[in-house]
Amino acid sequence: MGDFLGQYGFLIVTMVQAGLLGLSLYFPLQAGQLSLASPGFYAVGGYVAAILLTNPAFAGWRDALGNGMFPLTWLAAALICGVLGLIVGVPALRLRGIYLALATIAFIEILRVISLNLSITGGAIGIFGIPQAFGFQDRWQYIWLFGPLLILTLLFARQLERSRVGRAFRAIREDELAADAMGVPPTHYKVLAFVIGAVLAGLVGAMSAPFLNTWNAKQGTFDASIAILAFVLIGGSRNIWGPVVGGALLTAVPELLRFLADWRLVINGLVLVVASLYLPQGIVGALGGVRRPPPPRRPPSVPVVVEAPGGGS
Amino acid sequence: MELSQLIQNLMNGLAIGSVYAIFALGYTLVFSILGIINFAHGAVFTLGAYFTYTLVVGQFENNGLLKGINLFPDGSPFSGNPWLFALATLIGAAVAGLVAVLIERLAFRPMRSRGGDPLLALVSSLGVALVVVNLIQLLVGAEIYNFPSDAYGQVRPALSFHIGEKVVIIRTVQLIIFAVSLVMLALLGYVIGRTRVGKALRAVAENPGTASLLGISVDRFILITFFLSGFLGGLAGTLVGTAFGVAGPYFGVSYGLKGLAVIVLGGLGSIPGAVVGGLVIGLAEAFVPAQYSAYKDAVAFALLFVILLVRPQGLLGRAQIQKV
Amino acid sequence: MTAVTTERGTVERGTVLEARGLTRRFGGLVAVNDVSFDVREGEIFGLIGPNGAGKTTLFNLMTGLTPPSSGTLAYRGQKVTGLAPHRIAALGISRTFQNIRLFRALSALENVKIAQHVRTRAGLWAGVFGTSRAEERRVEDQAWALLDLVGLADRAGESAGNFSYGDQRRLEIARALATEPRVLLLDEPAAGMNTAEKGQLTAFIREVRARFDLTVLVIEHHVPLVMDLCDRVAVLNFGQLIAVGDPAAVQRDPKVIEAYLGGE
Repeated sequence: MGDFLGQYGFLIVTMVQAGLLGLSLYFPLQAGQLSLASPGFYAVGGYVAAILLTNPAFAGWRDALGNGMFPLTWLAAALICGVLGLIVGVPALRLRGIYLALATIAFIEILRVISLNLSITGGAIGIFGIPQAFGFQDRWQYIWLFGPLLILTLLFARQLERSRVGRAFRAIREDELAADAMGVPPTHYKVLAFVIGAVLAGLVGAMSAPFLNTWNAKQGTFDASIAILAFVLIGGSRNIWGPVVGGALLTAVPELLRFLADWRLVINGLVLVVASLYLPQGIVGALGGVRRPPPPRRPPSVPVVVEAPGGGS
Repeated sequence: MELSQLIQNLMNGLAIGSVYAIFALGYTLVFSILGIINFAHGAVFTLGAYFTYTLVVGQFENNGLLKGINLFPDGSPFSGNPWLFALATLIGAAVAGLVAVLIERLAFRPMRSRGGDPLLALVSSLGVALVVVNLIQLLVGAEIYNFPSDAYGQVRPALSFHIGEKVVIIRTVQLIIFAVSLVMLALLGYVIGRTRVGKALRAVAENPGTASLLGISVDRFILITFFLSGFLGGLAGTLVGTAFGVAGPYFGVSYGLKGLAVIVLGGLGSIPGAVVGGLVIGLAEAFVPAQYSAYKDAVAFALLFVILLVRPQGLLGRAQIQKV
Repeated sequence: MTAVTTERGTVERGTVLEARGLTRRFGGLVAVNDVSFDVREGEIFGLIGPNGAGKTTLFNLMTGLTPPSSGTLAYRGQKVTGLAPHRIAALGISRTFQNIRLFRALSALENVKIAQHVRTRAGLWAGVFGTSRAEERRVEDQAWALLDLVGLADRAGESAGNFSYGDQRRLEIARALATEPRVLLLDEPAAGMNTAEKGQLTAFIREVRARFDLTVLVIEHHVPLVMDLCDRVAVLNFGQLIAVGDPAAVQRDPKVIEAYLGGE
């Protein structure tokens, strides 16, 4: 067991982390918004945690809080990424389709250049020597952070899908204009979906900074956005398990291909091409066929109650 | 700003901006016909530079599987004379064009015939880019390769002249890049505006359905478009390579991203827009004050962000009226 | 209903909608040109005219999907032009679309549930923590009842895109009713329906009006249906309103005859 965890623990945690990042992109996609901004928020979340955990300015906080400092970094990262998501999202989400994707590429590139040049983010070298969370001795122990976060996120996503807000997301994904005409305010829900993704990516970043020990501008790049997009599309974008399966598999494939040495990145590219050509529904979509939800069951008949607008409800 | 500084910045901006323009035209041609962005375009740019280097130098001595293999043991037939170098550049660009055609056949056409999600075209073209970039690394390593200094013949490396007390220095290679780009833009303008192929291309871009009714083979024109796109990308790769060196397999990535900023700034799918967008971004970068030069790479994206907010259809794009 | 006094002055008793000088230009084309009319509470108001006369554009102006170039629309004395479509829907004006815009991949039931958005309020956390169950149940019951009304309850789980034209039109009406409107705009409700379905449509629209206490505006090409169904009719030609009045009078209006004969 110890051997197994020693050998594969890091990989397993990384697979869970990838699934979470996939989910962070899945939320905006639920509302029909192709955003590639996740790595940007992931990077910001990581920087927030790294700064709080290493910067001398916060030494007093660390002494006072001890291990309580780690939950504080999560909170701070979630909050900052949420606000940043709002600031970027409100103007950017007026755009549709490929334009939004390009705007989010611009966002991550600008963030990258800024983080390369600020002294608080450590410039090109980045921030290193980030302490291990809760004094973890082994990397695999981070499963105690990422695992519960994954479970909570999946529960959150499932509940969301069944709710009024989830229905509003789907309406906008299907037909933004018709949704608007039927009383669903598109901008409000697009921004909400974007901010949920931003907060999740920021949380993952804040947990990842101690996990990776160092944090630098390579964490939030265009390559990363594409990798995350691939997690979602190849796993399946219409089911909460899609991003999780896609993230886990695409993270594991290069490791399993390790025997191919230098060829593995080439193979990885081929996997992307082949999967996007031959598994257009994603792996989860293909496995489940087009799994129909069970036919809705009719509740005991109730008379139609239509209230005048403004009156009641 | 002093006049001499102004002229120097202007020349820097025009040279790099014109390369951005011909590179971005490759994106625009494909977008205007298929409505998708070919994310492998940056990799084709890189390939163009490597192909030309292979023809001119014949070997990669540092690293990779091809290390120690010399294509021309008796010396390259493409060196020593600027016209031979030009020929090598054109061949390199043409081979890059063929690679783009291959990419279309392997990564785009199967998806088109299956009617897949256009987002997946994005992923598959990125998959291709990943394959190309890592194959290059595998074959010739990640080192920077520089073209021989006499590639353009025995010319002075820089021209200098006086304006009042001040000296203005302009690198010869910049002038060459600018001139070559202008010639390419003029040629492309002629092909698209005046020839039958160009008219058919425009018809396909306007409406693929109607075009096929008119007896235009859409698939054939898509291939021609990809060839032109790859040719322009590959040529841009060689031009940048002669100015700054062929900076490893990832050399095209940042140009690939900036190219996106260029086409959105000019107006997605607009051919004059790509030219204007390229020059605007090139000039904007050249005029970044020296103390902020570290932020130069963010300029294109800041402009992209701003244009998307104030004028999403781009400088020369047409606003789309939404159909209800 | 009594006279209502607003900053726009006193509104004639029973007037629900007041269009004043509504105009929309697309480039050089004037799709809707200086159109003014009133719609009275509870009536079925027909909007007819040759193809391209600007009828659908007028609906789009009234529901906020297209902003007018000039002119205003007031609903019960409140100016609605300039408001976003979802705000207008919340005020009580709902619609169907000429080229059906259902959420095609979603089930019939879900299409109707979505449209109850403005009459419900569960936010993100209420949904995630399941504290809005009572409201959810109400949404569910209401959706079933509306599907019953349009005769689609036994196909509630099917994707809207799989339905026949006639069924899609009926589902769109159920979806529009789910927003609990006071004014319902129907854009060519009979298009794509067979003769039997068209026959039932008049009775159905009347029944819906009575049951939900609605004012109804209908765009329709099928002249016998319009004459039979509508209390008053307005005729648009090249974006201009050329006649308003009771169906029989409008049918005799020389300008209307000219427009139809000249246009077809």
